[in-house]
Amino acid sequence: MSRSLRGAAAVAGIGSTAYFKRGTSPHSALRLTLEAILAACADAGLDAHDVDGFVSYANDLSEGLAVGAALGVREIRWSTMVWGGGGGGVAAAVNAAAAAVACGQAEHVIVYRGLTEADDGRQSYGKGHFPPLLSAHGVLTPAQVCALRTQRMLEVDGVPWSALEALVQASYHHAQQNPDAVAYGRPLDHETYAGSRWVSEPLRLFDCSRENDGAAAVLVTSAERARDLRPVPAFVLSGVQGAGPDWSESAENNAAYTSAGFHPALVARLWAGAGLRPGEADVVQVYENFSGPAVASLIDFGLCPPGHEAGAVMTLPNLIAPAGALPVNTAGGNLAEGFVHGIGLVLEAVRQVRGTSANQVLGADVSLLLGGPVAPLVSATVFGSAATL
Amino acid sequence: MSDRPVLAGPVPAELVAIAERHGQVVAAGDNQATLADFRPDRTGQLAGSARLPGRLVSSRLLRLEAEPDGLIAAFIRYTADDGSQTVLRSRWIRLEEGWRVTQVRNLPDTPPVIAAAGPRDDGLDRPHWEGLRSGEVRVQRCARCGHWIWAPQPACPRCHGFDLTWPAVEPNGTVYSWTRTWQPFTPELSGHVPFVVVLAELASAGGRRLLGVLRDGDGIDVRIGQPVRGEIDPPPSPGAWPVLRWRRA
Repeated sequence: MSRSLRGAAAVAGIGSTAYFKRGTSPHSALRLTLEAILAACADAGLDAHDVDGFVSYANDLSEGLAVGAALGVREIRWSTMVWGGGGGGVAAAVNAAAAAVACGQAEHVIVYRGLTEADDGRQSYGKGHFPPLLSAHGVLTPAQVCALRTQRMLEVDGVPWSALEALVQASYHHAQQNPDAVAYGRPLDHETYAGSRWVSEPLRLFDCSRENDGAAAVLVTSAERARDLRPVPAFVLSGVQGAGPDWSESAENNAAYTSAGFHPALVARLWAGAGLRPGEADVVQVYENFSGPAVASLIDFGLCPPGHEAGAVMTLPNLIAPAGALPVNTAGGNLAEGFVHGIGLVLEAVRQVRGTSANQVLGADVSLLLGGPVAPLVSATVFGSAATL
Repeated sequence: MSDRPVLAGPVPAELVAIAERHGQVVAAGDNQATLADFRPDRTGQLAGSARLPGRLVSSRLLRLEAEPDGLIAAFIRYTADDGSQTVLRSRWIRLEEGWRVTQVRNLPDTPPVIAAAGPRDDGLDRPHWEGLRSGEVRVQRCARCGHWIWAPQPACPRCHGFDLTWPAVEPNGTVYSWTRTWQPFTPELSGHVPFVVVLAELASAGGRRLLGVLRDGDGIDVRIGQPVRGEIDPPPSPGAWPVLRWRRA
């Protein structure tokens, strides 16, 4: 029997709520999660009572069994929480669902994330990651840790500032075509970006992710079942998660300090598992807690060269659909579409394979999802169209 | 005694009255007028950046200073009803709508004092904090294989030995990375932003890196590779813990 995940599972349905300004959701995180799951099932044409598995990440407060009970599902066969790493668990959650259906542990697994400030509190994504060896020094937030990493990437590695801005500009550019994006109708020009207030140098306001209330979900099922449910499944070609040597929870003693955490062995496993040459992705959804770590992610995956040369690849024309060489965050991403711990990036990665993105990349067969840069855990998934199998 | 502020460099004449009036509305507790002086895209950040005592009775514009980047710095001293005095430095920028405050901070520049300083609940890092009490910077090290371990662990990740020691190290390091934090993320940071956090690499601890606020970091151009020296701030109150700071060597 093959030990490969390649083509064994697929996303057959996607659903989400609106992105509410943080603290303004009219409903609880659980209620939003249920709405998102029902939308994903409706999208797939599946009765939600037939869902038999749940996976989430980043300590989502709505436990899978409680979600299943609320939906009155016939049976729960699989319930998994990805440990640790905040948004670094987003692709890992997809991978866990794919693994479950690939080996027959469940048939219809929902991957979900729901978040409201009322339920989760402010900056819930940082909880537990700021022990006194950080907090005693006023280092209280992911912004500051990511600022430290980004500063060295700029100052020592020589990645130009323009690389950060290009990534931000691409997100806002794409959001102008996405009516569901928080930044829809609010384009960003260079003066506004460069003149925005410092949060923690070298990161300015627009380098930082939003925080929203909302929920989203995807339905993962076997490849065979997905073909019944949807005309265009997004097949899981490969998935990886993990932390490299000297990486996690080390009070800023990570060995590869300016890396996003996608260490070489993990990157090689992803491409090999997908049966692709390194870098062979048509479109990328890269988690941007902050602009710097997103650029570091692209460097880790060989999609962008390190150091000064990054500036040649990280340009707005290169990063935008439909025809850029490296289109990224085509719905607007965490920066400009909205932030519910990165789950929105999964939906957009699937849309690109379906051909239904508001910023569709021409001939997108291979769609790459990168989760949670600089987090203690990182993860990635490659989705592919039927043509890639 | 003159009440006229010192003007340093080419300071626009109209700014004297504007900055004096700003001091007056702040001292009067007129929040609406205070916020109206702030640059509109950062009123929240600015309002949380400075810290003033509750009941102010007067203000005095001490000095206006033209800065190389075109901003004008205003030093305003506020007096509270208990006689205590606080100096804020606001930096003013000329926008289309007029002069607005784009940065503000308390002077002198002091590091934030965080209540969470001290050993974590499981006590793994307690010897480090107790070392600071006795004036030493202690870093965890494996007694068996000599591996330096940071953050502290219950076992040596290299040889899996459980015999861990806490030697005092020379707190001389070099800047491995740094960030200047402007956002007052919590009320504890108010009155101390912006402040510079340095991640310093210690040759005396096998290249392990320790975080600390850089003392006197206001306006300083920090560079990676610069030498820094550790200093230990005494506990802010009995029962609290001392904290490691860095200073440019």
